[in-house]
Amino acid sequence: MLTVTNLVKRRGGREVLKGVSLRVERGTVGVLIGPSGCGKSTLVRCANGLEMFEEGEVAVGDARLTAGNGNGREQQLRTLRRSVGTVFQQFNLFAHRTMLENVIEAPIYVLNKPRKEAIRQAETLLARVGLTERLDAFPHQLSGGQQQRVAIARALAMQPEVILFDEPTSSLDPKMTAEVLGVMADLAKSGQTMLVVTHAMSFARRVATNVHVLVDGLIVESGPPEQVFDSPTHAATRELLTASTFG
Amino acid sequence: MGAATQAAPPANAFRWGADREGGGPYIYPDPNEPSRVIGFEVDLANALGRQMGREAQLVFCGWDQILLQLDRRDIDLALNGYEYTAQRARHYAASVPYYKFELGLCVRKGSPIDSWATLRQPAAGGSRPRIGVLKASSADRYVTSEFGVSCEVVRFEGVVETFKLVESGQLDASVQDLPPLVFYLDRLKRYPRLQIVDRPAQPGYYVLYARSTDEALIEATNGALRKLYDDGTLRRIYEKYGLWNAAQEGLPQVWQHWPPEDTAPEAGVLAQIRAELPLFFRAAGMTVKLAFLSMPLAVAIGLAIALIRAWPSPVLGGTGAPPRVAGQLLRAVATLYVEIVRGTPLVFQLFVVYFVLPEAGVNRLLAYFGLTSIDAFWSGVLALAVNYSAYEAEIMRLGIQSIPVGQMEAALSLGMTRALAVRRIILPQAIRTVIPATANDFIALYKDTAVCSVIAVEELSMQYSVAAKSTGLFLQMAIVASVLYLAMSWPLSLLAAWLERRLNGNKLQ
Repeated sequence: MLTVTNLVKRRGGREVLKGVSLRVERGTVGVLIGPSGCGKSTLVRCANGLEMFEEGEVAVGDARLTAGNGNGREQQLRTLRRSVGTVFQQFNLFAHRTMLENVIEAPIYVLNKPRKEAIRQAETLLARVGLTERLDAFPHQLSGGQQQRVAIARALAMQPEVILFDEPTSSLDPKMTAEVLGVMADLAKSGQTMLVVTHAMSFARRVATNVHVLVDGLIVESGPPEQVFDSPTHAATRELLTASTFG
Repeated sequence: MGAATQAAPPANAFRWGADREGGGPYIYPDPNEPSRVIGFEVDLANALGRQMGREAQLVFCGWDQILLQLDRRDIDLALNGYEYTAQRARHYAASVPYYKFELGLCVRKGSPIDSWATLRQPAAGGSRPRIGVLKASSADRYVTSEFGVSCEVVRFEGVVETFKLVESGQLDASVQDLPPLVFYLDRLKRYPRLQIVDRPAQPGYYVLYARSTDEALIEATNGALRKLYDDGTLRRIYEKYGLWNAAQEGLPQVWQHWPPEDTAPEAGVLAQIRAELPLFFRAAGMTVKLAFLSMPLAVAIGLAIALIRAWPSPVLGGTGAPPRVAGQLLRAVATLYVEIVRGTPLVFQLFVVYFVLPEAGVNRLLAYFGLTSIDAFWSGVLALAVNYSAYEAEIMRLGIQSIPVGQMEAALSLGMTRALAVRRIILPQAIRTVIPATANDFIALYKDTAVCSVIAVEELSMQYSVAAKSTGLFLQMAIVASVLYLAMSWPLSLLAAWLERRLNGNKLQ
């Protein structure tokens, strides 16, 4: 489904990603863990085309994104972004639009859906993430947890084949973290393909199909959670697991 | 005692006021030594001083303000082509005439206007001929009262502007006192495409004015003028500038019956203000039109410039990749535009649009599209729009860059194109953040419309200046004009404050 092949990203002469490869199969959940600054977020941002990379390739279904800034990139991005949704650490809800408007914006203006249909779909999706009231509230009137759930509904509204989560709970307090992780676990259960960058180890253990450990721009270990968490083969993984509180 | 800021004149000197930009042949910079002024009035003042045994000190004034300077005691005599009017004589002491002039009609060679009479006939195209005059001069009064129905009277601060504009076709004729017409057209031959047609009309008299309390000075001046005439000095001075003619020969006969009888007693102050009010309201309407047409244009140009300048930045979805040559060139042009426009005064930009563009071939371009030349009003709108567009561009650019990059990234991640994301997500937020600053600029632009009076747009400050000069009620007319400005800018201020409160109370993030 989502395939990253030998991806190399350089920034200021330094290799941030040194040839990363990983696969997330259809209907499964990949969780990407690793110490701060190892390149997790960069990998997500390369995978949805927000950042360019120098070597390698990203593929989602038939859509492919190749290295560099060639002439075909715009076309590649248009196709890729139809199949990839992203949920950001900072939510990034459109500040001038209400909850409902945030969700219907892209279906109406990108997919040319009739407004009525988009609203119906948005109401269903917002209900699915636990939001049924005050759909005309603006983002600044919502809690962080509510904002992030709207952001998830917004991503879902485009019916992407895969959703990338870039540390979706890092800006949230424990209670709100729990409500967002709950929504994500439900999504996973429903068969949504996801790649999640997170520090929430218990979530990884519970929900992940495969866990990938990224250290210094390289995947050092991949496998089912029980294997990676219970018998890590790499020193860096052991260190990472010791350091984290399994919160 | 003289004021602390200016040296007290020597006891036997008199200070006379004139405009150094008044132009030939009255007073103008010496072509051989531009820091010096020459002209028949300079010679006359010096001759009068010698005759009276007093030193003539020249004080430069704006031509419109010479009488005000008398009131302020900055000068003792006004001597600069000021014609005698009964209205002025009621407020100031007037000398006997030192020159008798008539009005001349000046047109392009080959113009269908070849006589005063043609000014009364409707023009072929149905449009009214545009006649340039010196603001609040006798030509202004004459043309307004005689041809005001069939012609459009366009009022200027200077004479030379009207010649240039008749040459370029923006005016159809210029009506001026004969001395400058003869001087520039016949003597200097500076405008070879212009000619004087028909016989001069509407005689008038140049006199000196002093404060009404200075009768003695005027008596001395009158005596000196008589002596200068008798000993031939006056004739020599006038001949030097080609101004001597039969009319001047007859000056002593005029002096015998001077001053003329004041037939129309002055109306009360309130009545004069009331008479001017409709004109003030019409001028205020013009000010509103200037502001409300130029500001949207300024915002639109500013927006385009801001987008060009900010295009590579991440908030507009720029990748940070090196831009293409064409893009870099476009940005350089936009930056240059902003710097040039911000770094030069509005009044110069106005002159460029009004005087230079037509000669630079813009008229031919407009004619190609079937349009007539760009007139004063639209020149004003364009200059104001260009001037403010530079500021709006900077405000808008900062507004755009104040939007978090995440907004653009979220939009792109949802499959929006850059253009769609800019239009639907970034600009609506950026515009909200700049509304208070833009509203403030609108108030500033609103008052800057006053600058358009220099190209003879009949807006509020122009109406003030005409009304003040024709009635002498400077303070009263200033109050009327200020009240009108305030009545229009205050609601705008309130609107700006309300918008700012509303946007602050409804913080976006």
